[in-house]
Amino acid sequence: MDETFQKLMQEKKRFLLPALIFLFIFYFMLPLSLIFFPEAMNQTSFVSGVTWGWLYAFMQIPMTWTMAWIYHIKSKRFDRIVEEIKREELL
Amino acid sequence: MNLTYFLFLICIIVCTLIITYWAAKRSKTTNRFYTAAGSLTGFQNGMAIAGDFISAASFLGIVGTIAINGYDGFLYSIGFLVSYLIVLFLIAEPVHRLGTYSLGDVICSRFPGNKMRWLMAIGAFMISILYMIPQLVASGFLLRLLLDIDYSISVVVIGGLMTIYVVFGGMVATSWVQIVKTVVLMSGTFLLSLIVFSNFNWNVADLIEQVKEGTPLGDQFFFPGHLFDNPLEFLSLQLALVLGTAGLPHILIRLFTVRNTLEVRRSLISSTWIIGLFYLMTLVLGLGTVALLGYQKMVAADPTGNLAAPLLAKEVGGDFLLAFISAIAFTTIVAVVAGLVISATTAFSHDIYHHIIKKGKSTEKEQLRAARWTALGIGFISTLFALRLETINVTFLVSLTFIVAASSNFPVLLLTIYWKKFNQVGAISGMVSGLAASLILVVLGPHIMNPDGGWIAREAVISLHNPGIIAIPIGFLGAYLGTIFSRNQPQSEAEYQRFFKKSQTGIRPGSESS
Repeated sequence: MDETFQKLMQEKKRFLLPALIFLFIFYFMLPLSLIFFPEAMNQTSFVSGVTWGWLYAFMQIPMTWTMAWIYHIKSKRFDRIVEEIKREELL
Repeated sequence: MNLTYFLFLICIIVCTLIITYWAAKRSKTTNRFYTAAGSLTGFQNGMAIAGDFISAASFLGIVGTIAINGYDGFLYSIGFLVSYLIVLFLIAEPVHRLGTYSLGDVICSRFPGNKMRWLMAIGAFMISILYMIPQLVASGFLLRLLLDIDYSISVVVIGGLMTIYVVFGGMVATSWVQIVKTVVLMSGTFLLSLIVFSNFNWNVADLIEQVKEGTPLGDQFFFPGHLFDNPLEFLSLQLALVLGTAGLPHILIRLFTVRNTLEVRRSLISSTWIIGLFYLMTLVLGLGTVALLGYQKMVAADPTGNLAAPLLAKEVGGDFLLAFISAIAFTTIVAVVAGLVISATTAFSHDIYHHIIKKGKSTEKEQLRAARWTALGIGFISTLFALRLETINVTFLVSLTFIVAASSNFPVLLLTIYWKKFNQVGAISGMVSGLAASLILVVLGPHIMNPDGGWIAREAVISLHNPGIIAIPIGFLGAYLGTIFSRNQPQSEAEYQRFFKKSQTGIRPGSESS
């Protein structure tokens, strides 16, 4: 049973670690880029009339939704492994 | 107060009291009182979480901040929203699996003992009360401005309502009041946003042009740097915002109100959708206020900008819409403070009364009675405090709450769940150092020490309004040092494995042997 549990934790780690690193970088790059490259962030982006600063700030919202959704999909698989562990323990 | 306002208010009060009456009949066990017996669906709980989280400060404050500061105001909302991913990824499911009613349960499932429970209870209690009092004070001012009711009457009405919801209806009533609030708030802001767009013939470019004319900042309105000119302060605030939610007891105890972890995830995902859409609409309202009213008119009514949304409603929809928006603001306040009352109540009556004083042996009936009396006491005392604090500026307590949550509760929760070597001494030193650091830093900071009207009229020792960037590492460091310097009581490897497995899968320890 411990093997299945190890498998669960490995799979969780394989998703969560990169996800968290991406999340922190994506989130903190916004204030950092505003602090260090204010000029560039005030340039109009490829969407006309929208500066990079606004685009990046807006992107945080779909980013949150997407990451939460990906986690939701992944978790269904985690839940299946948990069921597996429970079955093994009953044996 | 004219008749429209009065009818709206009465309507809300009557509706929420009907909910409470219905809930009271369903709150006859402790399980139902503290967690609605896990009976909510994920989506319902998601709405309730949003209702618990979006305070009047978010609704009115952020619209005003955007209207005054433009771009920077919007950044506040971003931090609030992204913080939910931290809760979802790291904290939510283990908390649901390990606890029954309170955060004390979660930590004590690894480090049982009265000391730990005291600390967790005091932490949850403090955070909830610190957050509740400024909300009550703000509500008093708000209702005075909006409806021309006396400060003390508004505080007593709101304090009374929140107490009634919790005392009689427990978590069931609180949840449904919060759900109703989310529905009303979202539909109200959506309606108002549509009206703003229709005023510009649905042409966003026109709206933006008009904004530039309405604000003294002109083109600069859409550029960053009007609210956060100090980079360190800016980063510090963003850090406290993104980590704070994961330590807020009143949000985390909502995770016990659903059946399983699938519903926990659904709750958080629906709340990120609601909160995200809500903040997009506050942006529209903020821009709309500047475009349609102009900066001067808004600041003339209230220099903090808190009245931006109501003023906008009056401008585009007359007295009726203003009454409607005021009623929404009122609902927003009562839903949030009710959530805080139940969180403080759980900390006191479940952790301190049931587990510490009665050593976990009180009966269902005694627990329920204790919980109701506690709720009554907490409601009464906070209302009294709010009445006394009319003349004192307490808004800094809101940012203090986030810092305390991020620097004491969050590190301890995170390390308890994930760090194998963590021990009880570390948990205690982490809580204490995080709590002490945030309090000391705020006292030494410009909120309290300010030559210009501060409680201590001197130059601030620490110039940060949001000392999160210092306090959060101190919390973690305290937890780490406490752990490595107290190697005398290691937890056995097997014990941790059992705990960790429970936190990750929900499988109860010892079930293998049975």
